[in-house]
Formats: sequence, C-alpha cells, structure tokens
Amino acid sequence: MRVGLVSPYDFATAGGVNDHVRHLARQLRRLGHEARIFAPSSRADVDFDTARFYRIGSPIAIPVNDSVARITLSFHLADQVAAIVEKEHFDVLHFHEPLMPALPMTMLKMSKTTNVGTFHAFARSNIGYYYGRRWLEPYLAYLHRGIAVSEPARNFLHQYFPDFPVRIIPNGIDVNAFKPGLPPIRHLRDDNVNILFVGRLEKRKGLGDLLRAYEFMQSRVPKSRLIVVGDGPLRGQVEGYISRHRLPNVVMAGYVPDSVLPRYYCSADIFCAPATGAESFGIVLLEALASGLPVVATEVEGYMSVLEPGRDSLTVQPKGWAELGSALIVLARDAELRRRMGAYGREKAGRFGWDVVAAQILEVYEEAREARAGSAVGEAQVAQIEEINVHDAV
Amino acid sequence: MWRYRAFMSVQSIVERLPRSWAYALAVFAARFAFWFSPLARPRLQFNLRVACPEISERELRHTTWLNFRNHAKAYADLMMLPRTRISDLRPLLQVKGMENLEAARALGKGVMAVSCHMGSYEVVSAIWAATLSPVSFFAEELEPRALFEWYRDTRARLGISVLSLTVAGIRKVTQALHEKEMVITAIDRDIIGTGHLMPFFGRPAPIPLGTASIALRFGTPLLPVCVYRLPDDTFMAEAAPHVIAENTGDRKADEIRVTQQLLQHIEGFIRRHPEQWHVPHRIWAGSP
Repeated sequence: MRVGLVSPYDFATAGGVNDHVRHLARQLRRLGHEARIFAPSSRADVDFDTARFYRIGSPIAIPVNDSVARITLSFHLADQVAAIVEKEHFDVLHFHEPLMPALPMTMLKMSKTTNVGTFHAFARSNIGYYYGRRWLEPYLAYLHRGIAVSEPARNFLHQYFPDFPVRIIPNGIDVNAFKPGLPPIRHLRDDNVNILFVGRLEKRKGLGDLLRAYEFMQSRVPKSRLIVVGDGPLRGQVEGYISRHRLPNVVMAGYVPDSVLPRYYCSADIFCAPATGAESFGIVLLEALASGLPVVATEVEGYMSVLEPGRDSLTVQPKGWAELGSALIVLARDAELRRRMGAYGREKAGRFGWDVVAAQILEVYEEAREARAGSAVGEAQVAQIEEINVHDAV
Repeated sequence: MWRYRAFMSVQSIVERLPRSWAYALAVFAARFAFWFSPLARPRLQFNLRVACPEISERELRHTTWLNFRNHAKAYADLMMLPRTRISDLRPLLQVKGMENLEAARALGKGVMAVSCHMGSYEVVSAIWAATLSPVSFFAEELEPRALFEWYRDTRARLGISVLSLTVAGIRKVTQALHEKEMVITAIDRDIIGTGHLMPFFGRPAPIPLGTASIALRFGTPLLPVCVYRLPDDTFMAEAAPHVIAENTGDRKADEIRVTQQLLQHIEGFIRRHPEQWHVPHRIWAGSP
C-alpha cells in the first residue's frame, strides 16, 4: 500500500504529532508498505531516514491551546501538492489534525484517494472549531474514516462535530528503543533519587509546579536530583527560579536528541508529568512506562487515559504542588514501590507497541478503502438511475 | 563565580551565531589571549619547544599563535553545543583508522581511548555515542563548579557521560568498560599529582598510570586516538592500532611499560600537529 502521511506541524521541531508520524512511517515500511511524509519545515536540511519527506511550506509560530503551533499558512501550496499527489498515486492519505490549516486542509480538499484523519488535540474549548464549525464540516466529509488518539481527544472533537464517527487508537511507543537496562548517563547515576521531567518548557506542562514540589521535597529527601529534559520559551524563567531559590541538584539538560533520550529515562528513578491540562495523551508517559519507571502525574484527562493510579503511577490534582511533592516523597523513599510500579508499567507498555498500533491503523485504512469503494459504487448507481429516469421522462 | 557568569554570557551569544561568525569571534578572542596572557603563552611555547626542538623561533611563535587560534575555535565549538544536533555534526567528521577502532571494539571488553589535549572531542564523541556505543570522558573537574556542571550537562545531552578523576569516577569507568562502552581519557598531563616520572619527548615528566592500571586489571584494549581540526574547520579523528596491556606479574613495571607504549603514539600525534596540542600548563621542570 502507498500511504501519504500529512502533518501540519514544523517537522524540524520535536513534537508528539511529528513523532507519531515518524514512527508510523517506520512501522509501515517494516510491514512492507511505502510511506511518504508531507509537512512544513523550518529547516531545508531536515530529512527523514525511512520515508521520503516532502517539505511543503515554511512554518510560522501561532499561539494555540496554551502552546505554540508551528504551522504553514501559505496559500500557494496547492500546485506543489497537486503535482506530488498526482505523481505518487497514493492508496491512502492519512491526515494528522486534518482540520488544521493550511497543509492538511489543502491536501484533503484536493485528494482523490482514500482519506483517513487522526485527531490528536484536546482542549476545554476551541474558538476556531466553535466559530468555524460550518466552514470546517465539509472538510470532515472528505474523510472516509477518523481516528482519535484517546477518549479526551474524541470527546473534544465531538463537542463540535458530534456526528463524526471516530475510532480510538492510542499513540504508540517504540518498546525496543525505550526499555530498562540501557546504558545510563553515568554521572547521573549515584546515590541520589533522580526525578525526570521531559517536555517543552511551556506553561501547560506544569514545570513551575514541579519546581515548587521539588523545593518542598528537598528538606525531606535531600538526596534527590531533578533532571529537566526539553527546551522552550520558559527556559529563562525556569533558570531564574532555580537560581533565586538556590535549588540544588537541578540538571537543565535542554533539548536531547532522540538517540540519547532513552538513556535519560534509564538514568532516572521516577518520572514526573505535572501538566496543568490540555494534554490529549502524553507520549512521554508511555516512554516512561516502557523504560520501567514509576510515574507521578497530574490527573488531566489525557494522562488518565494511559495511567492506572496505584499500579503504575501516583496521581495528584493539577497545579497542586504540595500534593505533587508528597507523592514524589512517597516514591523517593520507597524503592520497592518504585520497582513494583516500574515492572507493571513496562509490561503494560507492550500493549502500546508500534506493531500493535500500526496493525490497528492498517485495519482502519482497509475500512476506509472499502467505504470509499462502496460510496463510489453507490454514486455510480445513483448516476445510472438518474440517467435512466431522464431517458424515461424523455 | 564571575568566570562562570562571564562564560555563560559569552556562550549565550556564541550559540546563536552562525558557525563562521562564532569562529571569527573566537579568533578575535585568541588574538587577545595570545598577547595578554601572562603565563599561558610562555608555558605553551616552552612545551611546544620540548615537543618540537627542531623548529625555529619564528616557527615556534607562529605555531603557538595557531595553537591559541585552534583552541579558541574548540571553545566556540563547545559553546555552540547546546544548540547543536548530532545530524549537523556528522558531515564535519572524518575518521582515519576506523578499522583500528573496530578491532578494539571487537574484543568485547570495552575500549579505553587514550589521547592528549588536542581538538574538539565533543564532536567525535557525540557521533560515536550516537552510532557506536555510549562514550564517557574520564576527565578533571573544572573550576568553578557551576561551569563544570554546565560542561557536564552539555555533553550529557549528546550522550556523553563525564566521570571525574575520583574513586567514584573510577568505579563508573570500570562499570562502563564492563558494559563494553568507550571511555576517553588524556594522559599528557598529571592533573591530580600522582603521576610517575617517565620520559615524555625525551624529558622526565609526571605521567598518570591509572589508564594502564585499569587496562591491566580488566584486559581492556587501549586505543591511541587524536582529534584535530582541518583547514576547512572540519575534524579528523585518527586512531592507531590498539595496545593490549600484558600482565607479567610485576604490576608497576607493566603499568610503566604500557604507558610508555601509549606515550610513543601520543608523541607522534603531537609532533604531527603541534599547532593543535594545547597544554599551557607546567609539564616539565624548567617551565615558566
């Protein structure tokens, strides 16, 4: 099968949707399919090793959902895209965030093949969907099948488009890349309990709460270390806070390449995800579970669709830094509990392996192709009947 | 602390500059350091004179200047690391003697890469860490502490562990070798003051025996390696055939013999690229 994967986001910038696209492309290739990726990119030299990458447009940063979306808004994509689509003869075009301007919407409109859409986003509300509902609905009609990565993502979509059916297929995790026992970053493995945070340094990820929680736990568990992996607009503020409050043992690792990230998980004892909301899933949770780490997370909807509190994690209310600190103390003091939760998480992560997820996505592709074939036959029959009626009338 | 703050201020500018601009700034800083360093230049000149006794005064002065320039560029490389991606570094590296590295790795006992203070090791280590096996630096702790931590964290994000020259550090080195990883260390300077006096460029100098000691204990192959900058600002890593530390029963004599074998390779590297060997410290008696 020839599959085109379309992402609206800057492919040169790390992010959940692009990771999903990359892994799916790799998995499709492993299964003998051909995959191509379409996305905007802020860098001309971005390449992708396992699928041909088409750089379509240059992204600009737009504030969306307490975060920044780097998407292209170019109106001159159509000709470029049309030529590629014409040349490639795709069996399926798979749109990630199909209602996101401009690349997915442009391609969706001009697609003459089977279209599948995956909805990743979650928020309490979306002004674009609210006011643009009438304008966006026709675009949904181009999709032959829909996927949501979690229940919150599906509910978010149904808030505005209640009649559009979607199947829930979770994000996947590369269980061969993220696993316990990889070589750690050796200087981080000592007698400190290492707490790991991975994510963009932006408000909704809740790093501010984690810093307060860490400060709170320092007097109770002095032999602890906080490792912050990720970069973002709040970096200066975070460094300022650490310096002002003289927080000891905080490692600001910055952006860490994919090849090294699994080693950071293997250098940690506890994973902490303190997001304040607007998370539809949380791939980082899967990475932590697959690496055999116990998780301390906030009870945001997206996270709760992955975690089982008490078995693989301890969960607390969002923005409750004291509670977050207490949960970290409990885990930091109890190595046996950490081991038990880590073992359960590792076992569970196998259910989210990319082989399992890709198999489900391929089922959806087949359903979508059948649906398209069915509708094409139906349309042809209607056209024939109409023609006969016209002849009869004449 | 002022050194750390000054470093971070400069670093925050350099990391945002294109490579060519960062190097231009580095050359400007090198010019300043060359003229106004009270001790570094005479010490470096002294060391280079010992390493290359045949060159004229004029050549020595020029080599010292090139040395300052290359070292400043290596600092610029270090400062650019936080925003560097491994994929950007890959095209910048050529390796001579890859077969020697592969042969050492094939022994399955980890590899101790033994080198000297030359070139931008981060580039090579980051690429090897991403493509071959995890890499650790076995190196001195810089002062101030905050600067050392920055240096360590910056390398860590490229997959390089930085292990200090302490008992705990040695324990981690043995762990890393046990897990067939690569450890890089330099033996051209006795940093902790426990070195053994032995001929280095024909003159007695204190040289650390720790590397040979570890190799004797674990049978680890020792791989003489050097990294240097090419005229187009790309990098060359050169690996000589590995040295196996053979145990004859006389531990001290074995350590000295193996270290001398390694020093021969290191001397060869330095003689071929004196403009890249930056040790503005006292190695031999009589140094300013």
